[in-house]
Amino acid sequence: MALEVETRQAENGVTVVAPTGRLDVAGAPALKDAISEVVKNSPPRVVIDMEGVSFVDSTGLGSVIAVLKQIRGSEGGELRLAAPNQQVRVVLELTTLDRVFPYYATVEEALTGF
Amino acid sequence: MRSNHRRFEFTATFTGLDEGLDILHGSIQRLREAIGRPQDDRSLIFFETALGEIGSNVLTHGRPAGTERPVDYTLRFDGVTVEASLSDSGVPVHEHLTREMPAHDSEAGRGLAMARSLLDELGYEREGEVNKWRLVKRL
Repeated sequence: MALEVETRQAENGVTVVAPTGRLDVAGAPALKDAISEVVKNSPPRVVIDMEGVSFVDSTGLGSVIAVLKQIRGSEGGELRLAAPNQQVRVVLELTTLDRVFPYYATVEEALTGF
Repeated sequence: MRSNHRRFEFTATFTGLDEGLDILHGSIQRLREAIGRPQDDRSLIFFETALGEIGSNVLTHGRPAGTERPVDYTLRFDGVTVEASLSDSGVPVHEHLTREMPAHDSEAGRGLAMARSLLDELGYEREGEVNKWRLVKRL
């Protein structure tokens, strides 16, 4: 099941990237590719809408860390995660990456004040 | 502790990454439905996450170029404990088994540490040219 990624622009100029499917060893490259396009527009302020992500593995998580570094490497760049399901939250907490990615319950919450 | 005495068994062989991952996740969904656990059952989420890690390792590193041997997979539930077995023909991986969780900014190297944390038992044996994995969790 390939990961599909849609990108849209919110009213406040933040880019919302919405992957659908499993963000795993097979799907991670698609997310990296989509974010690489976004980072071309400076400053990259990005919300990853995780609602459509059914499952994340360590490679998928690694791709999120890679894009976080890419985005924060751009001046004014910032990344927020929104709407992770329970499996994604388990993985974030297990790896203590919830300290690095404070996640928001909804995309709307993530966009507020961004 | 919730008890559920329904038994379940699933076996498959596969070779491709996408095919293999679909089969692994599909088998957990079939187990979930067979024993009447909800989608957000935490024990099954833990088990599926560990299975995804070991499964992706097996599918990416366990089939060196030229190998014709497929990955063998079995999933069993005895009413209390779920156990998955996977075998592959990759190189031995003993040195990776005790790897600790890497630093936050590391983009790789978490899989086995995650699987160990999520399971009651993660077994690994090298038999001849074959890696044999055993994942166990009480549900």
